[in-house]
Amino acid sequence: MTDIRSKIEQIYSLEQLSAQNSCVHGLHPLAKICSTILYIVCILSFDRYAFFEILPYAFYPLLLIFLAKVPIGMIFKRVIIALPFCLFAGVSNVFLDTAPVMQFGEFSFTFGMLSLFTIVLRTLLCVSAVLILVAVTPFDELTEELRRMHLPNIFITLLEMTYRYIGVLAEEAATMFIGYRLRSRTGSGLEMKDMGSFIGQLLLRSFDRADRVYQAMKCRGYALRNFSHAQNNLDKHDWCFILLTGGIFLLLRWGASQYVAGRFF
Amino acid sequence: MLKIEKLSVRYPDQTIGIDNVSLCAKEGESVALIGANGAGKTSLIMALVGVIPSNGNVFADNVKLNKDNLNEIRNKIGVVFQNPDDQLFMPTIYDNIAFGLRNMGMNELEINARIETCLSLLNIKHLRNKTALKISGGEKRMAALATVLVMEPSIMLFDEPTAFLDPKARRILLSVLNGLQHTKIIATHDLMFAAETCKRSVLLKDGSVFADGPSKELLYDVQLMDKCGVEAIGACGREIY
Repeated sequence: MTDIRSKIEQIYSLEQLSAQNSCVHGLHPLAKICSTILYIVCILSFDRYAFFEILPYAFYPLLLIFLAKVPIGMIFKRVIIALPFCLFAGVSNVFLDTAPVMQFGEFSFTFGMLSLFTIVLRTLLCVSAVLILVAVTPFDELTEELRRMHLPNIFITLLEMTYRYIGVLAEEAATMFIGYRLRSRTGSGLEMKDMGSFIGQLLLRSFDRADRVYQAMKCRGYALRNFSHAQNNLDKHDWCFILLTGGIFLLLRWGASQYVAGRFF
Repeated sequence: MLKIEKLSVRYPDQTIGIDNVSLCAKEGESVALIGANGAGKTSLIMALVGVIPSNGNVFADNVKLNKDNLNEIRNKIGVVFQNPDDQLFMPTIYDNIAFGLRNMGMNELEINARIETCLSLLNIKHLRNKTALKISGGEKRMAALATVLVMEPSIMLFDEPTAFLDPKARRILLSVLNGLQHTKIIATHDLMFAAETCKRSVLLKDGSVFADGPSKELLYDVQLMDKCGVEAIGACGREIY
């Protein structure tokens, strides 16, 4: 129970950081979204061996972490979750692409290894950029800006509901699990034979609870939300942020990265 | 003022939830809704703010409830749910309280000012940046009350406000509610609480109004209450014939 509860707290702890005050928190959400999108696009536009060209892009998450005073460990712990997925995606390259890039005595560093490292770096940087965006921007403002960017409303509503109901689902699971454990034979984990009915009941209870949460939201004007209160247009600081970060991203993409790569190879 | 005329609610399976209920609560009046489980108290509350569909008329401060003015009605009528967890779904208590105000389109400065006033009024300033997962049941109840009170409704509906509360938290809630000048409808099983907060009580049975009168008479009427499956104040231990 305590474990599930602490997991729920972890889910929301990142968003709680968005209430802090810093020069990054004070920027318009749209500026931060644009900058993050441009960052991801630039990183994804490199080819699969561009490890050294992508590496300088680490400045962006590190700079934001420093300026926004986001605990680096909090971001790192979450980024690590993505690691198995990208390792799984890139590990086959090690065996399929065996042409050597460099030779260190007996050991040859292959193109496959280079592409695996590139995938890992690319994933870690992109995921950390998104996590930092969430940590420095209130979730409501993020979704509101996405609406202003004319993303389909259904996707944004799904995003909001999923985010809010994860806590509801976890809380229901925690309550049911403690009730189960107190009366189960072993007093420990969930037995396989009870798994089906447990999950079924969890679904029904979560649905019922989610319905009540939605009613409470409606009672406070959710369905009839007026979006006109979204922050006004970008000011000069926001434009400076977009132009500066965007300029650096593009410069790294087409200029300096060629030079850095050229020095290594 | 809250006026209800011939209000009926049918559930999707055609079961009658509320049957032809009419009543009126004057400005500043507190009315207790009493009834056994399944009598229709929660359904009535939800129908008053248009959360569940109904037939009949509801007037909040002379504004008639219809599909086009739900926004206006929900700004006039605030609902405090039975389970405070249903109302506390944002990461911090501050965000939970700000949720309704942001939906009203208010700017952050005004939101902040209103929230500070509300937190002071309910004496829960220390909860401002806490998450709902880490506070007590009594504090949750106060936070849920704050989420509604901050919207400054003229009418407040309470669904089982003393549920999950210990005697001390119940006593604090009692003094807070008695201090509010709003028109209040309080659905409760806690008859002592009803007697202490409301001069008038409405007894519901099978979705209809069974009795309506002064709390000090109605809530102590053993036979009347027994007909509705409710135990009157002081009835415990007595034999009922």
